[in-house]
Amino acid sequence: MIKNIIALAVGIFALSSISLMSADNVFPYKYDVNTLENGLKIITVPMPSNGIVSYYTLVQTGSRDEYEVGKTGFAHFFEHMMFRGTKKYPGTVYDSLIISIGADGNAYTTDDYTAYHLNLANEDLDLVMELESDRFQNLSYPEADFKTESGAVYGEYRKNITDPGNVIWEKLKFTAFDKHTYKHSTIGFEDDIKAMPTLYEYSKEFHSRYYRPENCILFIAGDIKTSDILAKAKKYYSSWKRGYVTPKIQTEPAQTTPRSASVSYDGKTNPMLGIGYKTSAFDAKSKSSVARELIGDLAFGSNSELYKNLYLKEQKVQYISPYFPQNRDPFLSIIFTMVNDANDIKYVENEIQKSVDWFQKNLVDKKKLGDLKKRQKYGFLMGLDTPSNLTEGLARTVAITGGIKAIEDYFKTLDSLTPQDIQNEAKKMNASQRTVIELKGTK
Amino acid sequence: MKNTTKIQVLSFALLLSMTFTSNLFSKDKEMSNKKVIMKISEDPIVAYNIWFKVGSANDPKGKEGLANLTAQLMADAATTKNTYSAILEQLYPMATAYGTKVDKEMTTFQGRVHKDNITKYNELFLDAILNPAFNEDDFNRVKNNTLNFIKNELRYSSDEELGKFSLYNFVFDGTPYEHIMAGTVEGIESITLQDVKEFHKNYFNKNNYVIGLGGGFSDNLVETVQSRLDKLADLKTNTKVDIKPKSIDGLEVLIVEKENNSTAISFGFPIDVLRGDDDFFALALFSSWFGEHRNQSSHLFQVIRGERGLNYGDYAYIERFLNGGSLSKPDPNNARHNQLFEVWLRPVQHKHRHFALRAAMRELKMVVDNGMTEQEFETTKNFLNKYSIHWAATTSERLGYQVDSEFYGVKDGGNYINYFRERIKNLTLAQVNNAIKKHIQYNNVKFAMITSDAESFKKDLVNNTPSPIEYDSPKPEEVYEADKAISTFKLNFKADKVKIVPVDKMFQK
Repeated sequence: MIKNIIALAVGIFALSSISLMSADNVFPYKYDVNTLENGLKIITVPMPSNGIVSYYTLVQTGSRDEYEVGKTGFAHFFEHMMFRGTKKYPGTVYDSLIISIGADGNAYTTDDYTAYHLNLANEDLDLVMELESDRFQNLSYPEADFKTESGAVYGEYRKNITDPGNVIWEKLKFTAFDKHTYKHSTIGFEDDIKAMPTLYEYSKEFHSRYYRPENCILFIAGDIKTSDILAKAKKYYSSWKRGYVTPKIQTEPAQTTPRSASVSYDGKTNPMLGIGYKTSAFDAKSKSSVARELIGDLAFGSNSELYKNLYLKEQKVQYISPYFPQNRDPFLSIIFTMVNDANDIKYVENEIQKSVDWFQKNLVDKKKLGDLKKRQKYGFLMGLDTPSNLTEGLARTVAITGGIKAIEDYFKTLDSLTPQDIQNEAKKMNASQRTVIELKGTK
Repeated sequence: MKNTTKIQVLSFALLLSMTFTSNLFSKDKEMSNKKVIMKISEDPIVAYNIWFKVGSANDPKGKEGLANLTAQLMADAATTKNTYSAILEQLYPMATAYGTKVDKEMTTFQGRVHKDNITKYNELFLDAILNPAFNEDDFNRVKNNTLNFIKNELRYSSDEELGKFSLYNFVFDGTPYEHIMAGTVEGIESITLQDVKEFHKNYFNKNNYVIGLGGGFSDNLVETVQSRLDKLADLKTNTKVDIKPKSIDGLEVLIVEKENNSTAISFGFPIDVLRGDDDFFALALFSSWFGEHRNQSSHLFQVIRGERGLNYGDYAYIERFLNGGSLSKPDPNNARHNQLFEVWLRPVQHKHRHFALRAAMRELKMVVDNGMTEQEFETTKNFLNKYSIHWAATTSERLGYQVDSEFYGVKDGGNYINYFRERIKNLTLAQVNNAIKKHIQYNNVKFAMITSDAESFKKDLVNNTPSPIEYDSPKPEEVYEADKAISTFKLNFKADKVKIVPVDKMFQK
């Protein structure tokens, strides 16, 4: 008991020393990265957590990998099928075992990766690793189950599409991309979702192509010993065979002219604008890549002039929300906003571009940049307070870069950024790279 | 045997965290306010949870939304010292914020900060409560945003949330619970800045708050917070509300009509059981088995989604669960003295609406008539005992639970989750089945459904029109057998107990 208390105290204390931290060790915990012979990467982050463990299996496949016509939404649908069991542990048996240990498990799919996660007590690791390794290797379900599950997926689509945010999101992706699979949203095109029940054979092919050890990462944090995890991983996952097949994703041709489209939402809403600028892929070592993320905050965040004017002072909008995500392939830097009065749509659109223009012509105040760097670090540290917050918060970076080192690289790059770097990056956000979507309600 | 060992190990692990927890209630008779203090010296984060005993149930008639508007104008607006821009600017490098949550009977101001930044944060946080500027600009902005939330978002962008709020309004019709926390369109429109100022003075007073602090703060923080909050007006305002929901006469239905592609279904009835009551834990086990939130282990989920694929999920509750569409675990601080037993079916295709409703009611009838089996009971007991440890992983969440314990008067020794697990562990099947018999029934129920072509649905309900179902894929024989019973399952709906309301009339006044 005493030993555990000390471990807890030391572990939490590591988090508290931000003022002493250098960019070399922003991440407050020691971690280990190991790879099995079959290519399965295992990242372990031991941290004190009263016996709780967060267990993530990251599959580096998402809706980005759906390159075949008629197969959009399949990565997400497949995620559902992963709960339908194996010969050894059919779905209902898997469920009953997870119930018996009171684990909190679920999964989600994004454009770039799919995550399967469980929160559990560390004494149940053996069972969880046996179950997880079994379903990733030996998934097996009858066609009838496959068809039943497609009904649940269509239900999810119908639930989502009542939100105008999802409608504008679909339209923005569809308009901004011609060739790359980022053209479709993760849940997929509705027609493809409706056709899913006919794709039983394809689902087996999907599993065989992408659910391979060299395409997956175990990301485990909490009260664990790395040596113990490795021993168990060897026992349960070594039989998993390589065989990943690279998807044939087309490169998006460079955009040369501005794009725009309008979309109607079958309901009542204030008008919305979604404005996306083409960007390069995420690279934690690249000043350009990290500077781009900061522009989202500097130009459109709660401390930006635009926010103060449009939202607080003039009250032309309900919100302004920058979304400058990290992506595996070149994607978009996006600003979403909801306009109070339809007559102000053009005005708001122009103000957003003016904010970009300002950053192209001027150097950002050093204090403002310094404040943002601090914010990034405090935000990062405050998000690491439990094993599941840690794994959830880092899952995207780990999945799209294939490791955890990008976290350190990111903060080193962040530290080195100057106002000039911000300006250089802002200059890339010009009208030719832009897609503007306007959404209006029909009622 | 194996399970018992595991449970003991886990209890031990959780007890460990108690080492860092002390629950110090003020003994000074001069100070009427209580404190919920959860000190964890080594924690780099400090969590705030200041609770005022006021909520939307205290909104004056015709000014529905006043409590919410007032609290939002404290947490999300200027103070007499700082413009709102200046506040955001100062919070920015700390990567933090503060906010408010207004429920029926409680309003909390919550935030968390790294202890490096505690001095500055504390100043901003308390200033928001003590010295709100209540200026015209902020007032218009917050009011406009709230109206947009009701008129557009709630009515149009999430039928699931619309269904749940409609059910609560329907059940508590005629009581101070009858409107949603955000208010009504006409209520909000009639609120003036002067109303807000008076409400703040009357309800956010020095005799009406409880301080909740958790994490790694220094000892003098509690005193500082208290001495500052004691500068609030020295008034004694009665905030107690009398909630007596009308008795339900058979099956009563509210159909909210709108053009949509699926039907959202919620139903329930009041239960006279609150957190801390003996029967609460028995019902918690029952509702977990029947429909644990966002969990595929639950019975309803298995029947409606797992076996039949009719929707995305199906759940049951004995306490209000807000934002269920986006949260996977309950968010504390919407404690209430009146709760429902509530079932939530996520949207089903219109052609399956009658079938899904029948399926859920049939399952309810079966468990009320027959009780849970020994095996279901044991499985759920083991599940819940361990699953509940995931409800409050962070300091803020645990603090939130302890504030709720203060609301309900639960004597949990400073760790509600541990207490809950102990109570669950000690349950017997007889206790659970007795509690089901005593509190759960299927004859007097209110339903709120969001759908199109409401008249034809009403006709189907009232006439008990059979609702056979077809599938795209073969099902096990027992599913077909059950479907025969479900599709003709008789529910005693009466025409005069089914009302249809167009969506634009909802939350209007």
